[in-house]
Amino acid sequence: MAGLCSVFSVCLCLLGFSAAVFEDQVGKFDWRQQFVGKVQFALFDTHSQASKKLLVATEKNIFASLNSRTGDLFWRHVDKTGPDGHIDTFMMHGQDAVVVVGNGRLLRSWETTVGGLNWETVLDTGSFQSAAYIGVQDVVRYVAVLKKSAISLHYLSNGHQKWVENLPESDTVQYQTVYSGGNGQVFVLGVVPNSHIVIVEYNIEDGEIMKQKSVAAPWLSSLQSSCVMVGSGVLLCADPTTKSLYTFPLQSADQTTMTPILLESLGVEVAAGFQPVLISTQPHPARPPLSEFFLQLGPDYHILLQLKDGLVSTLRDFNPSYLVAFATTGEKTVAAVMSPKNETASVINLYSADTGRRLLDTTIIYSMDPNGGKPAKLYIHAFLKKDDSVGYRVLVQTEDLVLTFLQQPGRVVWSREEALADVVTMEMVDLPLTGTQAELEGEFGKKADGLLPMVLKRLSSQFILLQAWMSHLWKLFYDARKPRSHVKNEVTFETLSRDEFNLQKMMVMVTASGKLFGIDSKSGTVLWKQYLENIQPNSVFKLMVQRTTAHFPHPPQCTLLVKDKDTGLGSLYVFNPIFGKKSHISVPALPRPILQSLLLPLMDQDYSKVLLLIDDQYKVTAFPSTKNVLQQLQEMASSIFFYLVDSSQGRLSGFRLRKDLSTELIWEVVIPTEVQKIVGVKGKRANEHVHSQGRVMGDRSVLYKYLNPNLLAVVTESTDSHQERSFVGIFLIDGVTGRIVHEAVQRKARGPVHFVHSENWVVYVYWNTKSRRNEFSVLELFEGMELYNSTVFSSLDRPRPPQVLQQSYIFPSPISTLEATLTEKGITSRHLLVGLPSGAIMSLPKMFLDPRRPEVASDQSREENLIPYSPEMPIRTEWFINYNQTVSRVRGIYTAPSGLESTCLVVAYGLDIYQTRVYPSKQFDVLKDDYDYVLISSVLLGLFFATMISKRLAEVKLLNRAWR
Amino acid sequence: MVFKCPGGAAVLISAVLCVFGPCLCGGQQPVLSPELPEPLAGGEVGEGGEAALLTADRFQIEGRAAVYGVRPEIWAPSAVVLVDGEEHVGFIRLDGSFTVNDVPSGSYVVQIASPVYKFEPVRVDITSKGKMRARRVNYIRTSEVLQLPYPLQIRCTGLHSYFIERETWGWSDFLMNPMVLMMVLPLVIILLLPKVINTNDPAMRQEMEQSMNMLNPNPDLPDVSELMTKFFAPPKSHSSSSSSGSGSSKSGGGSQRGHRGGPRRR
Repeated sequence: MAGLCSVFSVCLCLLGFSAAVFEDQVGKFDWRQQFVGKVQFALFDTHSQASKKLLVATEKNIFASLNSRTGDLFWRHVDKTGPDGHIDTFMMHGQDAVVVVGNGRLLRSWETTVGGLNWETVLDTGSFQSAAYIGVQDVVRYVAVLKKSAISLHYLSNGHQKWVENLPESDTVQYQTVYSGGNGQVFVLGVVPNSHIVIVEYNIEDGEIMKQKSVAAPWLSSLQSSCVMVGSGVLLCADPTTKSLYTFPLQSADQTTMTPILLESLGVEVAAGFQPVLISTQPHPARPPLSEFFLQLGPDYHILLQLKDGLVSTLRDFNPSYLVAFATTGEKTVAAVMSPKNETASVINLYSADTGRRLLDTTIIYSMDPNGGKPAKLYIHAFLKKDDSVGYRVLVQTEDLVLTFLQQPGRVVWSREEALADVVTMEMVDLPLTGTQAELEGEFGKKADGLLPMVLKRLSSQFILLQAWMSHLWKLFYDARKPRSHVKNEVTFETLSRDEFNLQKMMVMVTASGKLFGIDSKSGTVLWKQYLENIQPNSVFKLMVQRTTAHFPHPPQCTLLVKDKDTGLGSLYVFNPIFGKKSHISVPALPRPILQSLLLPLMDQDYSKVLLLIDDQYKVTAFPSTKNVLQQLQEMASSIFFYLVDSSQGRLSGFRLRKDLSTELIWEVVIPTEVQKIVGVKGKRANEHVHSQGRVMGDRSVLYKYLNPNLLAVVTESTDSHQERSFVGIFLIDGVTGRIVHEAVQRKARGPVHFVHSENWVVYVYWNTKSRRNEFSVLELFEGMELYNSTVFSSLDRPRPPQVLQQSYIFPSPISTLEATLTEKGITSRHLLVGLPSGAIMSLPKMFLDPRRPEVASDQSREENLIPYSPEMPIRTEWFINYNQTVSRVRGIYTAPSGLESTCLVVAYGLDIYQTRVYPSKQFDVLKDDYDYVLISSVLLGLFFATMISKRLAEVKLLNRAWR
Repeated sequence: MVFKCPGGAAVLISAVLCVFGPCLCGGQQPVLSPELPEPLAGGEVGEGGEAALLTADRFQIEGRAAVYGVRPEIWAPSAVVLVDGEEHVGFIRLDGSFTVNDVPSGSYVVQIASPVYKFEPVRVDITSKGKMRARRVNYIRTSEVLQLPYPLQIRCTGLHSYFIERETWGWSDFLMNPMVLMMVLPLVIILLLPKVINTNDPAMRQEMEQSMNMLNPNPDLPDVSELMTKFFAPPKSHSSSSSSGSGSSKSGGGSQRGHRGGPRRR
């Protein structure tokens, strides 16, 4: 039976609806951009001179390889989120990269050319401290991993453990560093804070402790932050209190104290309160580090020093200097220093590491983005030129997560906006009209002119249109002659204008790092960016479009509400979404924490919608707060309601606005927090239109939908997470009256719950703990066979509760996110867009989620096009709107209507950004792109000639008959 | 499936299970077979003692994936092993084998996500002692056990088909269209039949006449439609209508002659 049903439904879907992509549409209107996030470790493949690989490990638990010529991804491995997938360290040797993951839980070796996994080893538990390559006689054979209480040595070829040893007295000594000079010894360094340093030497063959000694260092608290290894096995530490450096040769047999070197003797000063930072380099893991090192004495002050025979000498003083880095190519090691040039640019120079001499012709000018952040990290790719001199390229990461790759003398090879790996919220804004279009629009606005001027104006604007059309044709003709690759549709602000069907829009994206982007939706080009400084890392953002582009002389206006999650204090940032410029409108000060914000449909004189902000004393601030607005608010106050959610106390409360902009409590619903907690509240989208009031049934009667615009869907989860007792609850609450319209409980279910609330339905997904599967459930609300008040909906006057239908289905995959398509007038049938963990975005027809699907098909249900019920929802790869362009870790899907009723614009964001269009009911309002012009014109021509010929023949025949 | 909701307080118990048909309504037996334990008993253990449980109760899922005729270097870097969504992630080695580490006991769906190749998901059950079992995924009959080998052997079942074919226009489609067939075939008959049958041949004519007579067995019997017209025709236009009627009434025998008269007149 079930099989039959499913076969039938499959047949139906083959016949009925398709959201599939045609192969020739690939890349026509969709694009994807892939990101990696904030880079933690970056290494250039210096294995061969021609290599263009750049390997990065990022805070988003991603290990990837970038093409250093173009900035594109070669490959990318996305590990699981959270501390379990965190990349602790990353080292590279030859073709292979060794990565320690999950606080020292896993040791992985990656082959870097294709990005395949060589081997993977599970390590013993224990918090990770450090890892190092161990070389024997110039060959790197092993990798040593130091944990809090143990050290293990692994073969580099297959990951097998050679030996593991417990560290002596690990409960008092904090072991932090492992070092090998390449001569067959392994040193483990630990510290007892403010007491002494412990040095343990292990035998490389069997892990036996060869030597163990301790050195007094009462000023030292951490090895990792203040000590490095320099030269052939010399431990070098910096002490800010005595302003001196301490050295200690590890191999010395008799020395028991560290040798102090006063910084004053070098003639340098440490900035007050600054912890000096030491930077050294070990070009080859099987050889000891270089004896040259950098000492950072202040935020913008570095010096290059050299340790020779226990004496430290200054090679060069860099004051001021932002960033320094070492790089090695062949046998040469160089130091790159970034120092300020002027206010908008910095200059990077190369210096010979062993002498401190500046290398000629090695200047790179790095110009800083005025809307961006300061440079934060510097990575150097050095290479030997043909004449054996050192050339280099440089990768700069800034505070606002821009990766810029530069080459001499300052040409940007590529740059990546890694902030976009963490998009929090977004909006799509219509593009402005072109000058000519605006001219035409303006014509209808004025009324004072007489008849003749109107006619003249009409003619002149028609002429302008004709001119524009001619130039467009000319451009088409001109472009057609050029080869395809040369035609570049560069998007700039000048060419930015609304297209015929409003398919091209401006995507305004807000990222977690506080950087705003304006992206052209057609090409994916970043048109503007703005870095908001001083954004707390745990802020929440809400983006609102206060004025669209429809009010021509007034520029469009977006408002971003930034709220600190801990304090609740908010601030407003008002900007123009098309050009990204900050608006000069004065913004109200918000001294109190903000609880709720709502955008009213009321408009000011200059057409900006009114934004209300409610603070923790239930006082309301209006923005803009002109006289006009306040007057309108006073008139409308009695019909402005809003709700607040306090999930910690399980309280939902409804308020009404008073004329003096204070509020009164109207209703309150308390959901006991001991039993269940509120996990989500969703109303309907303000720009949603419902075309049909009801559904026509098989017997030609109408089932009217319950279209309550004030309805809230509240989802709760039980606090008891036992699989037998856990449940998911859903409440439908009227936001004006506080009446619980419907309440449903899904037993033996738990979250994460994803849900969509639209029209007269709510779709939610939960995890069925008993059957261990994901299930979709749909709730649909109907008024019944007749409408109570068909002209206007009022929450206060609804005597009858709605009829509620519900049905559930099995979904054979976990779900990352859920959203519904949205079109201009709501005529087109709806689809649900389901983001899957595999990275696919599936377009699931709402038809499959219809609680009226019958168990047994009848004539009436067939009349209604209802698919017979089958418990399992199909997943068909033809429904994947992003075909093989997977979107990793999809976090949200944004849908926006376009000017065409059939078309919905979709942006999926997560680690990647994917933009496309979907046609839930196919393209019924435009000619399809596979429309057969040749056939239709040949048929028309054929018919035309046929009529001509037959007319002629008929004439001849008539003439002949007349003659007879 | 209509739940009328009296007031707001009615608690709706999901009807999901009943809807799934007899297979589930009868299927109240435990989902896992007796050798398998209850999954981790929830909040207190799961959250509080996570660090302590890390080694004791975490296991590895091992397996091997293969795409017939394609070397792992080509497909493995773009594929990833997902266990219950993105809860646990594993990577595929260059020889096609994979390990997913640190999985607590329970029942999981292991899936290989690749943008190009399609793999069947497998359900893996892990007891609290670390005993593993692999079986086929069946979301409807969750207790059904169709055992699969463990360590997992996952084979590619083909390529993902993301695209649908465009409807192309061809002459054969056009001609085989029933509407076209209905139009074209009678046309062909009308045009060709007079050519095939020689109407001037008297023998043939006689034969046709006979066959026509066979169709109209009794020419003297008045036609029903004619009777009707006679009945309902207004009396004023009786003469004209009767004349035309009589004309047609003769048609029983005469119309054939009249018809054949046409060509003869030419």
